Formats: sequence, structure tokens, C-alpha cells
Amino acid sequence: MTKTTLVALLVLASLRAQVRYEDILKSPRENWLTYAGDYASQRHSPLKQINTANIASLVPKWVYHFDGARHLEVSPIVHDGIMYITDSNEVRAVDAARGRLIWRYRVEGVKNARVNRGVAILGDRVYLLTSDVHIVALHRVTGALLWQRAFASADKGYSTSLAPLALKNQVMVGVAGGGSGQRGFVAALSASTGEELWRFWTVPGPGEPGSETWGGFNHEFGGAPTWTTGSFDPELNLIYWPTGNPWPDFYGGRRKGDNLYSDSVLALDAGTGKLKWHFQFTPHDVWDWDANETLVLADANWKGAPRKLMLQANRNGFYYVLDRVTGEFLHARQFVDRLDWAKGIDAKGRPVLVPGKEPTPAGVKTCPSVRGASNWMSPSYNPETGLFYLVTLEQCDIYSGSAKEPVPSSGFRGTAGEQIPAEPGRMYMRALDALTGERKWEAPMPGPATMWAGTVSTAGGIVFAGDDDGSLVAYEARSGKDLWHFPMGNTLFASPVTYMVDGIQFVAIATATDIFAFGLLTHP
Amino acid sequence: MRFLYLPVLIAATLLGQTKNPFAGKPEAIENGRKLFAEVCGACHGPNGEGGRGPSLTTGREVRRATDAQLFQSIRNGIRGTEMPPYPQAPEKIWLLVTFVRSLSAPAVEARLSGDHEAGRRIFETNCASCHSIAGQGGSLGPDLTEAGARLSLALLKEAIVAPNLRLADGYVPVQAVLQDGQTLTGVARNYNNYSLQLLEATGKLHLLDTRQLARVEFPGKSPMPADFAKRFTKVQMQDLIAFLSHQATRKIQ
Repeated sequence: MTKTTLVALLVLASLRAQVRYEDILKSPRENWLTYAGDYASQRHSPLKQINTANIASLVPKWVYHFDGARHLEVSPIVHDGIMYITDSNEVRAVDAARGRLIWRYRVEGVKNARVNRGVAILGDRVYLLTSDVHIVALHRVTGALLWQRAFASADKGYSTSLAPLALKNQVMVGVAGGGSGQRGFVAALSASTGEELWRFWTVPGPGEPGSETWGGFNHEFGGAPTWTTGSFDPELNLIYWPTGNPWPDFYGGRRKGDNLYSDSVLALDAGTGKLKWHFQFTPHDVWDWDANETLVLADANWKGAPRKLMLQANRNGFYYVLDRVTGEFLHARQFVDRLDWAKGIDAKGRPVLVPGKEPTPAGVKTCPSVRGASNWMSPSYNPETGLFYLVTLEQCDIYSGSAKEPVPSSGFRGTAGEQIPAEPGRMYMRALDALTGERKWEAPMPGPATMWAGTVSTAGGIVFAGDDDGSLVAYEARSGKDLWHFPMGNTLFASPVTYMVDGIQFVAIATATDIFAFGLLTHP
Repeated sequence: MRFLYLPVLIAATLLGQTKNPFAGKPEAIENGRKLFAEVCGACHGPNGEGGRGPSLTTGREVRRATDAQLFQSIRNGIRGTEMPPYPQAPEKIWLLVTFVRSLSAPAVEARLSGDHEAGRRIFETNCASCHSIAGQGGSLGPDLTEAGARLSLALLKEAIVAPNLRLADGYVPVQAVLQDGQTLTGVARNYNNYSLQLLEATGKLHLLDTRQLARVEFPGKSPMPADFAKRFTKVQMQDLIAFLSHQATRKIQ
């Protein structure tokens, strides 16, 4: 075979069913092409083969055991019949209709092994972020390594675990580090080479706007990490990325001020990374209430006029509605019962604090818990019902704080929030009116309150969620009626997805160690 | 598992047995080789190629283990297996560790000399229709972008001159005839009684139920020519191996 023929063959092969940006704009349909399914992070699928009329005949179609895994947090990506799943520093491609391995790629030589929440896909490339902050590009069909490149320094304590977000010709990445004193950033990397196109630091440098909100604290240690996947509005060309807590987590005495841009949402120009607006949910956080929860973009009528909205159920216990064009705060409402740190949110979106709820050396009981009223487990939004579905945690903690000199990467977080043994937490699946935050229905999830599973909503009138007992549960979307469940026998740390292969709809979710895929017993 | 290692590591630290004093020293590797043949060869083969005991040249277990863990495995044996303890002086154990480590050391560490550019040309002419490096090349054979980091020198050489000794997982040659008469030829990335994941040379992947197949055949032999040892001159072979052994994208621990 001549080299020319070879190149021609390869070009031919690569033309087949590449993932174009235009395809991602239409996701989710048969394919599930981003972490949340779509750029708006609604995690709502138009598929309705599985629906309220036939849900009783939903059965497991296959189980893939991810040998070696102990704590899968992946939200699978599905394209062209192939499902991409990850664990620490490892990707596997599995036949999405049959649960059979097609290829696997494990990055060798990585010292740390954090959890991993999944890949991004664009063109012929599947992108993995490693625990030691490299981006790895693999061929989506063969699993061949195309290139890898570091985008931060693991030696400086950076690590990462999120699923990147691919759009146009760039891949958006973020970092962990809120609990160890790294300076957070969001970066756009070239989808072709991994080269950095732009970077936005979430803690401003000396003299930059926002630097005055730190009371002179060293910006290099400020935290505000970017450890979950953001959202994107193609019309506005804005990327929305949430940020985490300032460091040290539980003691704010050395960082007096609001600590921008911690616990915030950033609206960044996709082409330049320039900040268009920001909104901070928990100014001067001392409870580790990262704002890294999913940012859901929804277009709806707001007080009689169509408006581009952003919805977030924040770890601090309030559900927020913002205008995503301007960042204007529109509304907030408490979505858990156990909340005592703030009396409410004022007209500008700022919490009205209850005195005496900050951590002290002796400890103070404050609600919600450090794990948050909700967290990174995926919510979903169904435009047909107008409901926002989420898993919540009703729990208080004893928060203690220490004025000890903070040392980055030492494990010091200013101490902690600790569970109260006599007051165990309880998880609830809840549906909120997306515009008002009013609770429309709820389903208790008895169990140890140790899971981190989320939801997926479908046009079949169903919302699927992981349960605290290790079941996948199907709820009727409007009423919350429990229609179906399947016990998978393991704790859940991931959110479900849905997709279609050869005319068959599947619902899939990772347990701690396996991927389960469900479909109807018989097909039309 | 982690908990099992803990007391071992503590004991090893106490005895000063976490750091290999001979690490990477050629003389120690040679002395280790002699000792290994005497002490371990009966089970693992005189050159660690395997026998009654597993091969120490192929597994990732050896590569992923720390020197201290290898030391403890040799000194104390491995519980639940036939591997007996070897309670001898630390120096002797470290010699064995050094040799065992060298068996599976990534080829890139050998820093082979040779004409890399000539090696690249040989690769492009003879190998790239099936193997890729950094996205350039075919997909019927394993990707070689990290060949130097993932294969030991011994395995790399073996793969070139004796491709039928081990068929790589996921690259089993296959020919399938569909119910409609269409014939597909390529490699089985996976198969069982119920399904076949077949990759064609064009890069087209077929995800099939076996009920869609009229016939499926596995020739059992690698499509890779088995006569490269004869086709290439010694210098050409050296250049090719030098080129491939340098294919690594990051440092392997």
C-alpha cells in the first residue's frame, strides 16, 4: 500500500460519522454527546420509546463490569453505537447496545488517581483529563493515542476529575484544588493540539478587579476551583462555568471580603475568555459550599416576557434564577428544610446572614451540611413540565474553624464540617417549579445518605434517578409517582443518561463498579 | 489490598529496605541475572520468561510495583500462591529486584542508539499500513505511539520478529460473512458467542450480533509478516527498534 493510498483510506475512514460541533448542538437525541447531554445542561432527552405506558417492562439489557474500579463517577458519552466510560486515568469504549469492550486506554505513569467523570468528544477525538492535569486525545474508533499535553502542574498540587466540554474547535477544562489552596482557572484548549487558547483565573491577581475582596490574602492560594463541567449558550457565545470555595475552606479570618470569584458563576466569552459578568452565590464562604453545581440554561417566560434564564440549586440550600444575558439576579428560594445560616436572599441576590453560624474552634451546628443541600449530582429540567428535578440532602453538621496559619497542599482546610451522629442525613428526590423554586413533589430516599447520583429526564414523561439504596428509579415526571425501580446492588456516584442504538432506547448508569444499561423487554 | 501493604511497608522502612541500592546498575543486573537463574529460574524460566510461575517480562504487575513491594514479595513469598519466601541477605534480594525490574523496563529506558530517521522510514514503508503513531497510520494492529514506554525491549523485538508468538488482545484477525452475503475482513476488537466487534482496515467499525452472521472465521495467525528478521538487514532492524523504542509521550514510573 502506498502512503498516498493509506492517507486516502484514513481520510475516508475519518469522514465517517465524525462528531461535528453541529451534531453536539443537536444532542441529546440518539447520541449523548456532552456530560449533561446538551450545552444547556438540561439533561433532558426527547426520546420516548420508554414511557409511562410501558415502563413496567424495562429490563436490564447488559451490565459491563469495569474491572479494577471502586468508585465510578462517570456520566457516559454515547456516539454511533459506542459508549465511552472512564475511571481514573482510563477510558474504555464499549458497544452501547451489547455491553462489550471495544478498546481501553489507560494512562501509565500517573502518580495520583482521582475519580473521573467522563470524556468529551469532537471530530474523531475523545478527550480524557487525567488526575495529573493532562488532556489526552484518543481516536474515538480505535482508541489510539493521538497526543497528550499537560495544562497545569501536578507538582503545584493541581489535579482534575471533570468531564471536559468540547465546542467549536476548543475543549474547556477546569481544575480541583479548593481544599488544598491552588488558584483556580478555566481554560480553553485547542481541540486539535491541546495548546492553550485562553485562561481565566478565578482568583484575580494583584491590582486586578476583584483582588480587593481578599483582604490581602495571597491570590496563588485562593482556591475557587472549577471542578465540574460548565454550560454553553451558542447564541450568546458565552461559556458559563461555576467555581468552588475559597481556601482555607472553613476559616475566613485571613481572607476578609467577598473573595471573588469563589462560589460564583462566570460568564466568559467563548472566543476570548473575557469575563462578561459574574454572580456570587455565597460571598466569603466559610462552609465549603462550592457553587460547582450544574448550571441549567432554560428559555422561558419570565413575568410575561421570554427570557434567557440560568437555574441552579446551590450547595448553600437556595435555588437561584438568573438572567443569563446580563447576570441579573431574578429570584431565589430555599429548597431544603434544614437551612439556618441565612434568613433569605435579598433583592440583589446576597444572602441575609444569621449571626453565629460561622465555624468556631469549638464547633457550631449549621445547616445544610458540608456536603451541601445538593451538590454536583446532576439535576435535570423538563421544558414540558416546567419542573427542575434534583437530588437533595437534608442534613446539618458541626462546623469547626481554626485560625492556624494555612499551608497549601498540606491537607489543611481550616478544619471541617462533621456529621452529627444522632442526626443522620436523609436524601430526597425533589421536583421544583423551575421559575419559582416551589416544591411540587418529593420522594424520600431512605439509606445511608452516602450516594452522589443524579437524574435524567425524558420526553417519555419519566425522570430517572439514582436512589440512596443503590436502585435506579423511574418517577412519573409530573406527579413523582414511583413507577419502576431496579436494585443494582451497589452505591451510586454517577448520573444516568439515555440514548438510542438501532431503534432501541437505553437508559444507562454507572454504579461504583459497573455500568448498567436498561431497555424494554420487547421492541416495537 | 492497600491495608495489606501497610504493615509490609512499615516493616520495610524499619529495616531500611525501601530503596534499592543497586537500582539500574548494569553490573547488578548481570549479577542479579546469575542469581535469578539459580534461585528463581526453575519456576519463572532462566530469563524470567515464565514457566510454572508467571512471566516477569510481560506483566504490568512488576512495573507497577515499587522496589520495596518487589523486595517484600521475594523475601516473604506471596501468600495464596506457590511463590515461596527467600529469606536471605538484603543485598541478594536487591540484586534479584534489580534484575526482575530490568526484565520489564520500558524499552525507552534502554536509550538505544541507531538512525531514528532511517527507522522512521522503515516504519512508514513496512508497518504504518496497520500500526499508527500519533494518529498517523492504520488501525489493524496495536497503536505504537507509546511502544517504547509500554513494551520492554525484549517484547518489542519479539513482536517484530515473531508476531505469532502472542496475538495482541483485541487484534485477532477475523473474516465474517453476513446473512446478506457481505464479507467483512479485519480484526475482532472483541467477540463471544453473541456478538462481534469487527474493525476493518478502513477504520470502519461493525458492531454485530452473531445472529446477523452466516459465518465467522478466525485464521489464528497474525496478518503481520513473520519474516522481518530475514527481510531487514541487521542495521535496518536496529534502526527500526531504535525508532520504536523511543516512542513515548510521557515518563513512565
